[in-house]
Amino acid sequence: MDKRIIYKNIDGSIGIIIPANCGLTVEQIARKDVPTGLKYKIVDVSEIPSDREFRNAWTIDDSELTDGVGE
Amino acid sequence: MTSILKVDQLQDSGGNAIITSDGAGNITTPGITTYTNSDALTLFNASGSAPVYACRAWVNWDGASGAGTTIRGSGNVSSITYNGTGDYTVNFTTAMPDANYATSAFASQESSADNNVTCVGQKGVISSNYTVSSCRLQMRRLDGVTLDINLVTAIFVR
Repeated sequence: MDKRIIYKNIDGSIGIIIPANCGLTVEQIARKDVPTGLKYKIVDVSEIPSDREFRNAWTIDDSELTDGVGE
Repeated sequence: MTSILKVDQLQDSGGNAIITSDGAGNITTPGITTYTNSDALTLFNASGSAPVYACRAWVNWDGASGAGTTIRGSGNVSSITYNGTGDYTVNFTTAMPDANYATSAFASQESSADNNVTCVGQKGVISSNYTVSSCRLQMRRLDGVTLDINLVTAIFVR
């Protein structure tokens, strides 16, 4: 899949979910695999920075996470 | 009071037997072969009499590009979460029966440098990282530096 699911952990770190070809849609995977109660955004992989030198410092504004909430 | 239906054979509308009892508690169904435990061992090419336990999930991925990680192949894995450099969570499509499963993982970095030999483990609280629905793995070089790795494989047995 060329989609990624982004969410922000309670500690502020960013989780990026890479969906597998498992028979579920990316939306179903997002609801299932994003931690319960955390908001997420589904984006194209091209929207994720390719430079990972400061990967652990990545952040995202909460207002961007508009596609749903982990169940 | 529950009812009991006593019958030796069930037939379809054409009179063909679909389930037949031998009167001793065993049934046969045309087209379905009865397997025994030893047949299962043969099926898995397993010699000897030791039992066989199943791999309940597996995954092979290329993590060298971080968020661009490619899942080469998987079974019972819905996704992988990229938590940070060399830090991934494998999410199961169908949950394990409990969190007492065994994991074996392998990571290989394409490099001739000895210090890029990689080990796989976990950080943090085991009960949080090793659950029925997911398993968090972290890849580190021998000097402790975390790495996004070219080849990571993991199997989960229960």
